[in-house]
Amino acid sequence: MVTLTHYVVLSSILFGLGAIGFLTRRNAMILFMSVELMLNAVNLMLVAFSEFRADMAGQVMVIFIYAVAAAEVAVGLAILIGLFRHVRSVDINKFNVLKW
Amino acid sequence: MDFYFWLFATMAVCAGIFTIAARDPLPSALGLLTVFIACAALYLHLHAPLIAIFQVTIYAGAILVLVVFVIMLLTSPDERLSLLQANMSYRIMGVVLGACIIGLLAAGTKGLINIVGSKALPDGFGSPARFGDLFYRNYLLHFEVASVLLLVALIGGIYLAKKNL
Repeated sequence: MVTLTHYVVLSSILFGLGAIGFLTRRNAMILFMSVELMLNAVNLMLVAFSEFRADMAGQVMVIFIYAVAAAEVAVGLAILIGLFRHVRSVDINKFNVLKW
Repeated sequence: MDFYFWLFATMAVCAGIFTIAARDPLPSALGLLTVFIACAALYLHLHAPLIAIFQVTIYAGAILVLVVFVIMLLTSPDERLSLLQANMSYRIMGVVLGACIIGLLAAGTKGLINIVGSKALPDGFGSPARFGDLFYRNYLLHFEVASVLLLVALIGGIYLAKKNL
């Protein structure tokens, strides 16, 4: 029998993987995808709680997270393209213009 | 039913590890696509068919295509050539992704009754009609705010991607 705990553990693992990827990788595109992985883990948690509490509000929240994720990707990738024009690289160690 | 959960949960975790461990961004995007499709399959298991459809169309469709587009834009021609040469990790990931999509299709043709748990849920839980009713009755203001957010992101994205920034 699959319980809520299974889903909480699964989405925690996915969120942890996203966090590890975000903190350890040096490629800006992979950082982006790690953020998407974390957002996806949160979605899974919301839908699981929505099911096990028999309350559909959790599914509605997922739609708002989709809107936020789409906005994040649109603006973030535009910033990344702008940065790439200046630095000619996607290595975040080279993005040090604002470093003091 | 339990098997369904374990299959797609394992797929999601393996593909998640591949996403953060892959050397190049393009195989990493392939891993992320597998995570999204496996999660869509799990949403079917959780009485959320509408969210599963949105997951496939918005996340795996729109957002990931944009990401892959930018990856191809930001790699030099030499790197792109090495990206496109199929190595072992590409093939393994392709097999996992194919299995994932076949599983989702098989689940879809088999019908939702056999996948979803038989818990005591309110009548019509997760159906698009109930979802739309709740969405446009209780969350109308939030919906409008989200549309303004998307408009702002659209304008901001166009402005930032302009050539003479």
